[in-house]
Amino acid sequence: MNQRIGRRIESVSLNLLALILIIFIVGPLVWVAVASIQGENELLRHPPRIIPHDPTLDNYDYVFTGKIPTAYEVKGQLRSRISQEARLIPAALKNSFIVATSVMIVNLVIGSIAAYTFAWQRFRGRTFLLNFILGSRLLPVMAVAIPYYVIIQTLGLLDTYISLILIYLALTLPFSIWFLSSYFSGIPKDFEDAAHIDGCNTFQALTRVVIPIALPGLVAAAAFAFMASYNEFLFARFLTQSIDSQTGPVIISSIAGNPDASYSLISVAITLGLIPPLILAIVLRRWLTEGLSTSITLR
Amino acid sequence: MAQHPGAARRHHSLRLGRKAYPYLSILPVLIVVALFAIYPIIHAVRMSFYKYLLTRPNDHPFVGLGNFIEVITSYYFKNSIQVTAIYTVAAVVGVVIYGLGVALLLNTSIKLAGPLKIVILLPWALPAVVSGLLWKWILNADFGILNGLLYALGLIDSYIPFLADPTLAKLSLIMAFIWKEGPLVAIFFLAGLQLIPDEYYEAAKIDGGSAWTIFRHVKVPLLRAVFLIVIVYETMTAILTFDTIYVLTGGGPADSTALISWFAYAEIFKGLNLGHGIALAIIIAAVTLVLILVYLRALKPEEATS
Amino acid sequence: MRTKRLPGLLFLLLAAITVTALVVGCGAPSVGAPTAEPAQPAEPTKEAEPAGQEPAAPTALDFVVWSYGIETIQDNIKNFQAANPLCQINLKDYSWLDYHDTMVGRFAAGDPPPLLYGSDHWLQEWAAANWLAPVDASFPQVTEYSGELAPYALQGMTYNGHVYGLSYYADTIDFVYNAEQLTQAGFDSPPETWQDVWDMSIALKEQGITEYPMILAFSQQEGASIEALISMIYARHQGEGALFDAANEPTFAQEGSAAFEAIQWLKEAYDAGILDPASLQTAEIDQVKSMQAGAHTFTIFPQYNMAELNRPESGEFAGKFKIALMPGDSHSTVGYVRFYAMTPQAAAMGDAALECAWSFLEYFGGKTDGSYTVVKRWAVENGLGFAQLPLFDDPAVEEAFGKWGDVAVISQQAELARSKEGLTPWFGAWDVFTRAEVHKAILGQQTTMDSLNNMVVKWNELAQQ
Repeated sequence: MNQRIGRRIESVSLNLLALILIIFIVGPLVWVAVASIQGENELLRHPPRIIPHDPTLDNYDYVFTGKIPTAYEVKGQLRSRISQEARLIPAALKNSFIVATSVMIVNLVIGSIAAYTFAWQRFRGRTFLLNFILGSRLLPVMAVAIPYYVIIQTLGLLDTYISLILIYLALTLPFSIWFLSSYFSGIPKDFEDAAHIDGCNTFQALTRVVIPIALPGLVAAAAFAFMASYNEFLFARFLTQSIDSQTGPVIISSIAGNPDASYSLISVAITLGLIPPLILAIVLRRWLTEGLSTSITLR
Repeated sequence: MAQHPGAARRHHSLRLGRKAYPYLSILPVLIVVALFAIYPIIHAVRMSFYKYLLTRPNDHPFVGLGNFIEVITSYYFKNSIQVTAIYTVAAVVGVVIYGLGVALLLNTSIKLAGPLKIVILLPWALPAVVSGLLWKWILNADFGILNGLLYALGLIDSYIPFLADPTLAKLSLIMAFIWKEGPLVAIFFLAGLQLIPDEYYEAAKIDGGSAWTIFRHVKVPLLRAVFLIVIVYETMTAILTFDTIYVLTGGGPADSTALISWFAYAEIFKGLNLGHGIALAIIIAAVTLVLILVYLRALKPEEATS
Repeated sequence: MRTKRLPGLLFLLLAAITVTALVVGCGAPSVGAPTAEPAQPAEPTKEAEPAGQEPAAPTALDFVVWSYGIETIQDNIKNFQAANPLCQINLKDYSWLDYHDTMVGRFAAGDPPPLLYGSDHWLQEWAAANWLAPVDASFPQVTEYSGELAPYALQGMTYNGHVYGLSYYADTIDFVYNAEQLTQAGFDSPPETWQDVWDMSIALKEQGITEYPMILAFSQQEGASIEALISMIYARHQGEGALFDAANEPTFAQEGSAAFEAIQWLKEAYDAGILDPASLQTAEIDQVKSMQAGAHTFTIFPQYNMAELNRPESGEFAGKFKIALMPGDSHSTVGYVRFYAMTPQAAAMGDAALECAWSFLEYFGGKTDGSYTVVKRWAVENGLGFAQLPLFDDPAVEEAFGKWGDVAVISQQAELARSKEGLTPWFGAWDVFTRAEVHKAILGQQTTMDSLNNMVVKWNELAQQ
């Protein structure tokens, strides 16, 4: 009886803690979503309106169709908080998504193969190569920005997806390899031995046995590669020059840096930018907690 | 020793394949990494020994360690090292505790774990420039929603200029860092927790362990590798926090949030003094390396993963 | 082994790339600055043939801008191309906050666009680095426009006696007040001196009209904060030499100087709750928004914000914002200019490109069929200021500016405007590295004199390099 009450209290307090965390995490984002359907004047009140009195989709309409919200129109004047760049958001988010997804896939494929090798194979130069890969990230990005530009320019890749994909791979691979190799080596060795005894070669052992067990780790690495690429800014702004390759962060920051910036439009940009990762989060959620336990039941 | 003797009778080519496999399997990674490592690093190291001011295009004398001496004796060095140290320690400790807490919650079967699992990823998806912008707006002293809420709830009489006060600005920055970086830490810890077989908990419970002893003596040791990775990554991220600061405070007020990396950037892109900027960057890299070695020593997993 | 086929082709390609990178790395320790290095020889294998290489008919020129009014710029380009079918302009843009740094990176990496926006902050820096080409060296006729320009704008586009561009827009830093709040506090005319500002602020505060009567955009990231500060110094000072003498030697580090008075006033105003403490975190966009919200009565910012401030739908104070001459004995202020510039790349691309560059500069910053078509469009449609003095008499401009401001005051202030003293190749760096010194004085972390002395030290250090 006593234990039941104890359980109860524990469950309630844990749920309460989770609720506080959820509020802390999504609070700012909910505010952005709310702001995106308000007029600017509502937002500048003292205190601002938390529940919109007069919600409107005009801001979204402008982004997708170019129709200027009635609140902004001034006879003959195209001024007033309409940052025209807002209309580039859908295209920029598409660019972001393509780049981030490519990085995620390539990173997972070549990264997990390499990580597996580092985790369980012994070969000459292993330590040196691993240190080289990990050490490549030591120099702060501002010091390498100009050389990166020279490399991309030499390759003729300025203003392309490939330039961003290559750089994001170089930025994310060291860390995902480190994480994955450490993760793989945490998997009990009997699994792999069993695979070898069954006649698998190293590569097959990786794909057939290790990967299913390591799914949570792979998902974490995938999320890392996607997010790091989806929100990278320094190189994106530096190496892209037009909407052919400009990504979401570049466009959002250029809207925000515009003297005509309206918080409503910035909010629209941010809200739209959250949709692709939200979908990813919903897809990935299932795999995050399906690791060893399920594999054990398989056995 | 990974090769087991049973394969001995397979033919020669396969043996060669076995030997070559490790190299082939890491080759793609190596190429991408090398492409963006070798030239930039050589370039940076060379540049740090020259006086390299872009506004003096035809005058780049060799100065030896001159750049390093100049930046170390500059007016901002001591202050920015202090600011960086305070910020990094607070941010890393904060984000690790927060991320671990979230991961432990996600690993339970409570009702709200599901929703939490979806939303936890979101702050991560915001570019640092955007989350900086968002916090700047929320914390605004004239029309920020946080001030609005506190005011509406009667907790404050007048709006607080969070970002205009040297101490509050630092705290705001640390909070923004934790909010944004927390998801990564949580997800990595969660993945680590998944690797701990259920039998371990059962065993510990049978031995009469409380939740705390299970945490302390079962989870923490098994999570060592994750701790190491997360701490190293977050330390590097915190030391190099740039976008958020650029948007949120610009290093101010009165340089109270100007990290050493901000000055590296400013020397290069504002002062056009590549020699100074790269010397600072190399100092940062060296400090980071020392920190990593210290962590490695302190957190080395017992069964020596390497 | 069959499982490991994938790297083959990728490997060869990337290996070649790595070698290329290594070769690049082994040159002199140069960032490839003006060492002309066209991008074609390196990569025949890539699909890098987007546009440009075939000079079939039109010459293609890249034109880089900061992101503002992109659709308007594109429309202007369309009109320009219709009039100049042999020139094709490709627009590229970076956000204003990133513009300087991104361009520095591009220049340093050896990839300059032929045409771009420039600003008086960085003209000397960029020209000293050989990143910009003097327009008058190739097209002496550019100086024919000089006579019609406000002196501060011409100065802002001139380095070592050469003209580096034609003005995109030019504006003054103005003192702005909320007339309704001021009337409510019992004042029927704006402040003339800083003592007036102080007295009125106390009254506004005591009557509870505004908690902090004055706000400034003094965030450390705000590039225009130096201009606001200098305007407060100029207005207190008669003639030249308020900050630097003719030889660019600092003159401001003494007690009683205009700079000392200005910073000291700010410090006292901060302590007295006249200056909003949030000023130290505020940038221009938020400054305008909080004025619109009626949170403050006085502020200082570039004139073009008036169009936004007084926009009819912007809130209860729309139309109540007015410009007063900058308080102080001389009422002088800062005038600045942003301009269309060209780089040595234009000439390197050949005569056709150079001719196009000139046609472009003249179409955008000069006259077409006798009128400043593009400059006027920015003024009328977006409220951007201008340096072409004859435009003040243009009826369309008068009508447009009349909607949000008093044309007489705007032009009177423009006549009193001076360019920033101390414009040198290191001015931009000095500004960035000394913003914190002003903060420290305002926050009381050190005395005003300490701050001024530190600013001199930094100036001398940069000047010596």
